Amino acid sequence: MTIETIKQTSALVVAVSGRMDAVTAPEYEKKINELLDSGEVSYVVDFGQLEYISSAGLRALLSTTRRIRDKQGCILLANIVGNVKEVFEMSGFGSIFTVHATVDQALKMLPG
Amino acid sequence: MKGNRSIAVRLIFVITLWSTLIFIAALGYNYYHSRAVLEGELESNARNLALSLANRVETELVSVSRVVEEMSVSLETGNYRDKRQLNNLLSQTLASNPNILGCTAAFEPYAFSRSSYGFASYFYREKGSIAYKELQQTYSNLPYFFWDWYQIPRELGHEEWSEPYFDEGGANQLLTTCSVPFYEKRDGKRRFRGIVTADITLNSLMELISSVRILRTGYAALFSRQGMVLAHPLKNAVMNETFFSLAESRHDTGLRAIGRQMISGKSGFVNCTNFLGEKSWLYYAPIRSTGWSLAVVFPEAELMENVWNLTVVMAFIGFSGIVLLSLTVFLIARSITRPLTTLAATSRTIADGNFDLELPQVKIFDEVGVLTSSFQSMITSLKEYIRNLTETTAAKERIQSELKLAKDIQASLLPRIFPPFPERPEFDIFALMHPAKEVGGDFYDFFFIDDNHLCFLVADVADKGVPAALYMMVAKTLLKSEGQRLGDPGKILFHVNNILAEDNESSMFATVFCGILDTATGEVRFSNAGHNPPMLIRSGEVSFMGSTPGMVLGPIKNAPFATGSIILHPGDSLLLYTDGVTEAIDRQGGFFGENSLLTFVRQVPFSDSRAMVLTVREELLRFSLGVEQSDDITLLCVIYRGLP
Repeated sequence: MTIETIKQTSALVVAVSGRMDAVTAPEYEKKINELLDSGEVSYVVDFGQLEYISSAGLRALLSTTRRIRDKQGCILLANIVGNVKEVFEMSGFGSIFTVHATVDQALKMLPG
Repeated sequence: MKGNRSIAVRLIFVITLWSTLIFIAALGYNYYHSRAVLEGELESNARNLALSLANRVETELVSVSRVVEEMSVSLETGNYRDKRQLNNLLSQTLASNPNILGCTAAFEPYAFSRSSYGFASYFYREKGSIAYKELQQTYSNLPYFFWDWYQIPRELGHEEWSEPYFDEGGANQLLTTCSVPFYEKRDGKRRFRGIVTADITLNSLMELISSVRILRTGYAALFSRQGMVLAHPLKNAVMNETFFSLAESRHDTGLRAIGRQMISGKSGFVNCTNFLGEKSWLYYAPIRSTGWSLAVVFPEAELMENVWNLTVVMAFIGFSGIVLLSLTVFLIARSITRPLTTLAATSRTIADGNFDLELPQVKIFDEVGVLTSSFQSMITSLKEYIRNLTETTAAKERIQSELKLAKDIQASLLPRIFPPFPERPEFDIFALMHPAKEVGGDFYDFFFIDDNHLCFLVADVADKGVPAALYMMVAKTLLKSEGQRLGDPGKILFHVNNILAEDNESSMFATVFCGILDTATGEVRFSNAGHNPPMLIRSGEVSFMGSTPGMVLGPIKNAPFATGSIILHPGDSLLLYTDGVTEAIDRQGGFFGENSLLTFVRQVPFSDSRAMVLTVREELLRFSLGVEQSDDITLLCVIYRGLP
């Protein structure tokens, strides 16, 4: 799993690629926690390049989202496709998160 | 010990070699330089000595020639025609000059008196008194006019010293005669009138020269105008040999050349082999008045002896110094290598696992001291590290054993006795759960709610390991208690979710598929909380059971869970599984996948639930051969047989 961040005016775009499973999920959690500690509160997570997400990945997503919301921040998911989309649909996570088709769309939803 | 030796030996070798080379170079330079300085000094000493000796001889001779010259002046001015007057002058002169042995006044024919052809008055010392002789009578067979002492100064017209000779009186005295011509003025012309002489003994001068000792065997020598040996340590040569005859007997042309220089009144400083056969330095200087040559001879061996002795002493001191230096270097090298050797031995002991060692006390904080001290702290750290490691290992072992126990407990919580309900032929059920780690988050369960309703479920708690296992315990307990209380899948999941969502700090969640089989009718009512859809196997056809998945259990309260329904015909079966099945990984990292599972189940014939579950499990093992199981694997198969 690799995580790339691009700072946009309204939010930080976090592009996650590869596999997000029990081994790599803590990395994601750690990264988001660091960003949170550095004061970043608005996130758009781009899952376009994510090949696979396991339940551990979902849990990491859930726990970081909780932390972001505790800090009055917001997190939008974008570009959820393929396997990952199936997992989201099956697990009902699609209803917990605000999911957008593209990163641009998600960014538009956020106040400048 | 090899290293120890090599450092010390190398140091000693290099230092000794270089200091020896430097020392030898310095010693050699010193030797040759001293030699050169000494030769320089020698020349000046030799010159001084030779000149002072020559001067003394010269003084002696000059004092005599003055007397003779005075007599000649007296004879010229006083005109002495009277024998008594003349004899008075001669005898008085002899009496007042004790170094003069005899003196003569010899006249040309008829120059003293017209009556006598020749006249020579000779006064000489004999047995302490003065004797008188008239030489025209003594030398009757060869008149005195023809003698060298008379003829040579007469012809030359100036003062002349004779070649030294032994006196004929038998006293064995070496004599020389100083002859001075005197003239008279007659008819305005200066005419030769006669010769006045004085004889002196050379014995005292020769003794003086013979007594000169330079170092031990050095000497002074005197040669006459013709090279005759006058004074020399070779006593036999005195008045018997000349410089040239000696040189000839030695076949030494170099010496002859030197001899020629000497008799021609030159002075010089040369290195040669002397008549005694020794290598020597020779300084020669002329005695002007007589044309003699004086030589001083310095034996080279003795001269260089001092330089050589000095060099030997220096060499002794130097080599003793080098030995001391080497010893010091050896001691220092050993003082360095000994702790190193100890350290090396210590490190071997440490490598064997023994940390309770005493290192040598650090006395000096040099590099070795620092190394020893670092080594000591390394040992301390290692000891600490090993202690920590031992503790950690012990703790890990404890955790391992606890996990083992937990695994057993977890396994015992799941129904494990198959067939579980042998008295119920309407259905056949089999399940297994293989955790990826010691304990897992997957579980299955089945239990009767009432006589005709069998509740069965498969769940997967997010993540793996102990946290998942703990959550699984809670979820499993809740699902069973709520399942037995509520009897409807949707309601069960709704209630359990609400309980789990309460204070869910860790964001844990579980997916659950829960079904309730009416054993009488074959109807299965089910609800899905985000779980993989089960597989329906009906008369050879395999398909995923369409169900609307609800939210996973845990994240949010009051999530709705719909209850679906399906009728199983006798022979139909349901296969429930967790994502550990579809996401089993092979060597290439590829997933087993839902389609593979579908195809496999379609192809493999099976007769009962146990066979189906175990066959699928075996296929998974084959698929992921050699790859570590990445997720918990749970399979549950229920086959509806219908009422008998």
